[in-house]
Amino acid sequence: MSRKSERLVNLVIALLATKRNVTKSEIFRTIEGYEGSNESMERMFERDKDELRSLGIEIEVSGLDPLFDDEVGYRIRPEIFSFDSEGFSPVQIAYMSLAAQLWKDASLSEVSQKAVRKLSGFASSMDIGDIPAVAPLALSAPIFLDEIVNCISERKPIEFAYLDHELNSNFRNVHVYSYFSLNGFWYFSGFDTEKMDVRTFRCDRIQGELKVSKKSNSYQVPEDFKTDTSFNDLTSDKKAILRIRKGRGAQIKMLASSSIEDGDFDTVHINYSSQIPLVELILWHLDDVEVIEPMILRNEIVKSLENLVDFHG
Amino acid sequence: MVKNFGDNQVERLLDLVPYLVANQGVALEKVAKDFNSSRASILEDLNTLWMCGLPGYTPLELIDLSFDTGYVSIRNADILSHPRRLSSYEIGAIVVGLSILKQSVDEQSNHFRQIEELIIRLCRTSQIVAPAKIESAVTSSIRITLGDAINQRRLVSLSYYSFAKDTETVRRVKPLGIENLDNNEYLFAYCYLANDFRNFRLDRIKDVVALDVMDDVVNQVDSEVIDKYEFSVKVNSQPRKVMEVLHIQIPADYSSGDEFLCSAFNAEWIIRTITSLAGSAIISQPNLLRSQIRERAAKALALYK
Repeated sequence: MSRKSERLVNLVIALLATKRNVTKSEIFRTIEGYEGSNESMERMFERDKDELRSLGIEIEVSGLDPLFDDEVGYRIRPEIFSFDSEGFSPVQIAYMSLAAQLWKDASLSEVSQKAVRKLSGFASSMDIGDIPAVAPLALSAPIFLDEIVNCISERKPIEFAYLDHELNSNFRNVHVYSYFSLNGFWYFSGFDTEKMDVRTFRCDRIQGELKVSKKSNSYQVPEDFKTDTSFNDLTSDKKAILRIRKGRGAQIKMLASSSIEDGDFDTVHINYSSQIPLVELILWHLDDVEVIEPMILRNEIVKSLENLVDFHG
Repeated sequence: MVKNFGDNQVERLLDLVPYLVANQGVALEKVAKDFNSSRASILEDLNTLWMCGLPGYTPLELIDLSFDTGYVSIRNADILSHPRRLSSYEIGAIVVGLSILKQSVDEQSNHFRQIEELIIRLCRTSQIVAPAKIESAVTSSIRITLGDAINQRRLVSLSYYSFAKDTETVRRVKPLGIENLDNNEYLFAYCYLANDFRNFRLDRIKDVVALDVMDDVVNQVDSEVIDKYEFSVKVNSQPRKVMEVLHIQIPADYSSGDEFLCSAFNAEWIIRTITSLAGSAIISQPNLLRSQIRERAAKALALYK
């Protein structure tokens, strides 16, 4: 293990230090660790290149022009290998380090651990300890959050199985446009190629693995795309009148457009768009809330309560 | 870019050099801690690096390390002395992390402005897209005030909305710690209204005022064991909703009418939650909860008769 690491580090140092591309025969002649027949050194070098590339190190190759007979040459450009810290202040490095450390024990811990290591190569450590950590947001992030972030920048479609209301797993293919976190849950929005429409997905409803397509630049994010994080259609055009017991129903009163006192109860007017969530909210409040209008809502509450009495009888 | 997980020695060595250059004379133990490795594997790393350098590999070309005193210093490593470039995955993790940090600081503060600038810069140079929104149900000022009170052992006055009881109360508490449970943040505190330890969900704290009162009597954190109510539900419809609301696992091959065992800390919460599910889930056991739901629903129904 160590012998191989030693050879690879020596290869990196030599390829970084050279001012011109060096040939394979030069590498085999001068870099410590290349031994054996030409064939076995060739194989060794191919594996070494692959390993370095898998670590994100770019090796430049020259002399591939078929019209010239030059031997192929290699080098690593220091400006590509190194962090371009130009203009990053010590405090910015410290923010980045703190941001990466936020993922300790959370989904992106491995990848951020690597970032923390790299950033620790900068001399100054600033004290910005007065920033409170918001662990739950990081802790609730899905393990594939980094895939989501990167598929957007590379515009690679993703595929996954998504749970519908009936717990059926549905196969989805999505061009992701954006992602966000709201009240403890992580979501992403994008174009669903089957539904032919923009949809929003909650990350914890994804079953199993998320598959990222290999093909980049497969789609474009529309320039005028705006993420809708409200989950409501904005037309709260339906009106309801409710009676709410005094001092109760704080969650419903937040929706009120007006409220009139009436003995032990307040008469409250609210606007709403969708009936189902409102029914749940009213039922939650049991005998503290009564629906006066509309009849369709009133009947729905009565029917649900009758069912509850029956089912638990 | 290939995503490479797991710890790779070559990668560690390449990052170790700039770290040692920036932290000359650092203790071996600290290196091990900062690199999340054991002392033994860091020693092995150093012994490997010792053999590395420019072609020629004479003492003039080799990296010069000294670590036999337990403190590490490094010379002759100019070529590797600069930190490596961050991968797009690493920048992605940093950008999302910064967005979370930004959400947790005061919008008027210097931190906020500087973090925002940094996010914009990183996104511009890397093509990484920042989250469209990061919103926590907890306002940052509440978290900050509570954090200060915990550190200074001060009491606070808490306006708390009890979801299960649908009431708001004001109480004096001594904050002891903030804990995370099931995606929510809780304040663990001694409550002088209840004269007992209590957990308060941070997103239901409406207001908090630091009091000029210290209390060193209540320090002992006896995490008392709270009894959980166990109950069985029969799931009739809306399985995904029931699963998410009751925090249970329902397998994909479930059929309507299957029963599942659930638990919760608060009977009132169970009653109201089952009611709000409007028949999608019915309590099958215990009978006491069944009759409570029946009575409470009948009482609500009486409003309409």
